[in-house]
Amino acid sequence: MIDKASPQPPPVGRVVATEQKPATPHQFHFWTANETSIGIGAIVRVEGAGSGEQGAGKVVYGVVTDGFAYSDLATPLHDVVGAEGDPARAAESPTVRQEIRLWTAAVLRQQPEEPLQPVPLGRVHVATDTDVAQALRMDAYLDGTEPTAIPVGLYTSGGLEAPVYLDADFLLGPEAAHLNISGVSGLATKTSAVEFLLGSIFQHFPPHKGRIAAVCFNVKGPDLCFLDRPGVLEEEDRRRYERLAVRAQPFERVRYYAPFKADGVNLNTLRTHPDLVGDVEPLVWGLREVLDYAEVLLNRDDIDAKADAFIDFLSDRVVDKEFDDGFGGAHRVVTFADLERLFRSIFDGLELGGGRGDTWRTHHIATIRKVRNRLSNISTRAKGLVTDDGPSNDLPWGRFEDRAVYVVDVANVDPLGQDLVFARIVSKLREHLERRDLGVEAVVVFVDELNKYAPADGPETYVKKMLLDISERGRYLGLVLFGAEQFRSQVHRRVVGNAGTIVFGRMDSDELATPGYQVLSPAIKIKLATLPIGELMVRHPHFTQPIFVRFPRPAVLRGRDGVERFPPAADLPFEDAVVRQLVKLDRRVRPNLVKDLIVDRREEDVRRALAHTRQTRPQDAFAHFKKHLGGRVAAAPATARESVPPLNPISDEPY
Amino acid sequence: MSHSWVDAILAAGVVPASYVPEASVGRTDLEEFTGADPVEDPELRVHSLDGVRALAPAAVGFLDGIEQWRVVGYAGVTPIVRAYVAAAIRLRRTDRRPRTIGEDADELAITRLDRLPDAAREALERAGVRVVEISADDAGQPARALPAARIEVQKARAALERRLAERRLSGLGSDEWLVVDGVLSDSSALSAHPRVLGVVKSHGAEYFAGPELERALTLPAVRRTSVFRPKSRGARRDIYSWYLRLWPWEGNDLLYGLLRVEARAHPETVARASGISAWLTAERAPLATPDRRWDRLLYPIHDVETYLRARAPRDLLPAPGSRLPRTGT
Repeated sequence: MIDKASPQPPPVGRVVATEQKPATPHQFHFWTANETSIGIGAIVRVEGAGSGEQGAGKVVYGVVTDGFAYSDLATPLHDVVGAEGDPARAAESPTVRQEIRLWTAAVLRQQPEEPLQPVPLGRVHVATDTDVAQALRMDAYLDGTEPTAIPVGLYTSGGLEAPVYLDADFLLGPEAAHLNISGVSGLATKTSAVEFLLGSIFQHFPPHKGRIAAVCFNVKGPDLCFLDRPGVLEEEDRRRYERLAVRAQPFERVRYYAPFKADGVNLNTLRTHPDLVGDVEPLVWGLREVLDYAEVLLNRDDIDAKADAFIDFLSDRVVDKEFDDGFGGAHRVVTFADLERLFRSIFDGLELGGGRGDTWRTHHIATIRKVRNRLSNISTRAKGLVTDDGPSNDLPWGRFEDRAVYVVDVANVDPLGQDLVFARIVSKLREHLERRDLGVEAVVVFVDELNKYAPADGPETYVKKMLLDISERGRYLGLVLFGAEQFRSQVHRRVVGNAGTIVFGRMDSDELATPGYQVLSPAIKIKLATLPIGELMVRHPHFTQPIFVRFPRPAVLRGRDGVERFPPAADLPFEDAVVRQLVKLDRRVRPNLVKDLIVDRREEDVRRALAHTRQTRPQDAFAHFKKHLGGRVAAAPATARESVPPLNPISDEPY
Repeated sequence: MSHSWVDAILAAGVVPASYVPEASVGRTDLEEFTGADPVEDPELRVHSLDGVRALAPAAVGFLDGIEQWRVVGYAGVTPIVRAYVAAAIRLRRTDRRPRTIGEDADELAITRLDRLPDAAREALERAGVRVVEISADDAGQPARALPAARIEVQKARAALERRLAERRLSGLGSDEWLVVDGVLSDSSALSAHPRVLGVVKSHGAEYFAGPELERALTLPAVRRTSVFRPKSRGARRDIYSWYLRLWPWEGNDLLYGLLRVEARAHPETVARASGISAWLTAERAPLATPDRRWDRLLYPIHDVETYLRARAPRDLLPAPGSRLPRTGT
C-alpha cells in the first residue's frame, strides 16, 4: 500500500525555461545531473521556488515524456577538428565537454489547481509513494469511507517504486468502464496482465459494489486453461505482490466450459488431463439456443426480411410447440433432427402437393431452403457444440458465483461457432444483468483477438454490433469488456474509444506510426517499442498522462507450462468417454456395467441418454442413463419367405 | 550583494543610466617592447614536440576570472559604475570533469565621490558597497572617465584572481598543477611555485625583434620556442616563458593559435618545457568554441569562464532589446 512515511528525497533537478522552451501550464523542462535515475516515464514533483520568488508554495507533478542530451559543442565539425579527424582521439581529450541532461515533462497535476499557471522554475524531486498518489489523483479513491482502488502495478523509477491503482468506478462502471490492452504477441504480456488484474480485482473489488465474476473466452491454445493452478513465481514477483497488497494465489473458483469434439463425447479442449478434465463442463447447445442467435449465422448477403421472418416464425410458432405442417403431419420440434424432419415434410408436401405453388405459409421455398442450409450448416461446422438432438448444457445462468471465473474454451471451434458462442453468452449476460438475476452485479468479459470480432473495417456483423453496444452501454449494466489485440488500430474505433482504461504492452513500430499514437512523444514510442515483459503503459481517466507500471507475473500456471505439466489426454474410445462422463456424475458407476450396457447400441442413442443424465444430474446416474437409453431391441432374423412351387415344372423345352 | 545601493543613489537624485561598454577581451599583456634574455638556447629557436611525452598531472586546477560593469547613473557628468568581478578555480581530476573548488566575487561602485551630491554620497556609504574612486581629472571628462573605470575593474579582477590563486597554493597537492589564465609575474607566490603555469593569450608585449621576432610569430603548429626570461618590468617578478603554437597560423594571422606560457624561473622549467608544451597542446581538444578566441583558449579555462558567467548577476548583461526611447505604454 501507499508508504506515507517515506523520507523526502533530495532534489534531482531544476526547472528551466527559455524563450524557446518556456514552461507552460501543461509542460515544463528541467535539467538533472548527467548521472541520474530519471528516465522516460518517471514521475517528478516540482516545488515552487524559494521564499520570495515566483511560484512559492505551488507544487506541480509531472511525468517525463522526452529527454535530451547535448554538450556545448557548437557544430559537429568542431569535434572533428579537435580530434584532428581521428575518432579514437576524440575520447582522449583531457577534459570532458560540459553536457546537459534536459528533460521534458507533461504536467499531471498542479496544487493548488487554481489559478492554473505555468510551472514555477523550482526544484525537481523524484516522486515518492505519496507523490505518485497525488500526481495521479489516486487520493480521490484511495482514501475515504468507501475506497475503490484496484492495484494495477508498480510505478518504478530510480530505485523508488510506488503502487498504482485504478478506480473501480472507472474500470468496472458506472462512471466509465472497459479495458483495452494491445501489444505484440508472444511476450506473454496481454494475457498475463489481464490475469493479474482479474486477480487484483477479485481481491480488491469494493464490497459496497456487490459481487463480481469474469467470463473469459479462450480463443487460442491453452492460454486460460489453468487459471486454478499455481504458477511459478520468482522472489521479485512475490515482493511486488506484497507491495501491491495482492495475494499471490491462483483463482479459487474457476469453471471451465468446452464443447465436445465431433464424436460428441470427448471434450474439445487442451484441459483433458485426467486430473483436470473432471472440472470441465461440456458446452452443448440445441436448436432453441441456436435459433435465438440465428442472425449470427447469416452473412451480410443472407440478411433479408424474408429470412428473418421465417426464422421468427420458426422460433415463435414451431419450436417447442405442437405444430401441424399443413400436409397432414404433426410435429413437435425440439431438436435439429426434429426440425430437419419438418423441413423434409414441407419440401415433400410442396413437391407432391401439385398446384399448391412454391410457398408454404407465405414463405417462399427458396427462403426456407436458405434458412435450412444455414441452420444445418452450423450443426455440421460446429458439431460438438451444437447437438442435433438431446438437451443442451449451458453456463449457470442465474447462478453465477461471486469472484468466479468462467472460462469458455472455444480455441478449437470453427470461427462460425466461436461467433455463435460469443454472441449468445454475451447476450445472455446482458439479459440477466438487465434483469439483475445473474447472481452477480458485475461481469468482466475478457476477449482476446478483439480485432477479429470488432475489426476497424469489414462487414457489420452481429458480433461487432453487439460489442459496440456493450462498449457504449455496458457500463450501466455492469457488463465490462476487457479486450485484447495485437494492433489497436485494427479494432473498431468506437470499441477502443469507449474503453476507459487503455493498456499498452510492447508495441510494433509500424503500429506506433499509425495516427492513433500521434499524441505520444518519440521517446515514449521508443520506450513502448522496447518494453520488457511485465511492464505496461496505462491510461486511465484519472491519469492525465500515460503511466508506466510493472506488474508481477500472474500467480496462475501459464498455458504453455500447464500443457507440459498436465499433457492433454488422447481422445478416449467412445465407450471409455461415456464411462468417464458418467463416473464424473456419480462415482459409484461401474465402468464394466456401462460398457456392457452400451455395446452394440447406436451412438446417437447413447449420446442422447448421456445428455439427459448430465442435465438431470440424478442420484443414481447409471439407473437414469439406463432408463433413458431404453431397452435393447434384439435383432430378429428375417423369416424366410415361403416360396410357392410352380404349378408345372419348367421343362427344358425352350418354347 | 544585491544592487539595492543602485536604487538608493537613484532615490538620492542620481540620473539613472544603463550603459554596458563593449565586453572586455580579458587582460592584455603590456603593450611595449621589453626585451628578453635567452635561457635555454643562445637565441630563440624552434623546438618540435613530436614524440615528446606530455606531462600528465593527476589533477589540474584552472583559474580564470570575469568582469562585468555598467554605468548605472550620472551625477552631472560624473558616471557611477556598478562593477562585478569574480574568479574561480575548477579542478579536473582523472574523471576529466572540472569541478569548482574555489571561487570568489566582489561588487564595487566606481565613481568620484566628491563630484556626487551629498545625498548620493551618503546613500553609497549607507549601502556599504566598496567604492573605488577614479582621479579627479578623469572624472571631469566622460571620454576619460569610462576608460579609467575600466582600468579599475580590471585591477579589481586581477586582485581577486591573485588572491584566489594564492589561497589555493597552500592546498595544492603534490601531483596537482594550477593553470592561470594570464601572467604569473604579478604575484611572487605564483611566479615562484614549481607547479603553476600562466597561459597568456594576448601578445601586446614584445620580447624580440628582428629574426627572433619572426621566428616567434611564425612558429609552426605544435612547436615551441626556446625558453627565455622576459626582462623585468617594474614590480614584475622573475619568470621563464616560451611561445607555443597550438594551430597552424597560415591562412589566419600571426597570433592565431599562439600562446605564451609562463612558469617559475628555474632550470627545472627548462627541462619540463617540452612536456608542458605537449600537455597544453593536448588541451586543444575539446575546442573552446563558440568563444571567438577558441584558437588560444584552453577548454578548461573556457569552462571556468562559462561557470562564472552563469553565476554572474543577469542585470549587468547588455539588454537584448534596443535602446530606443520607451513609448510610455
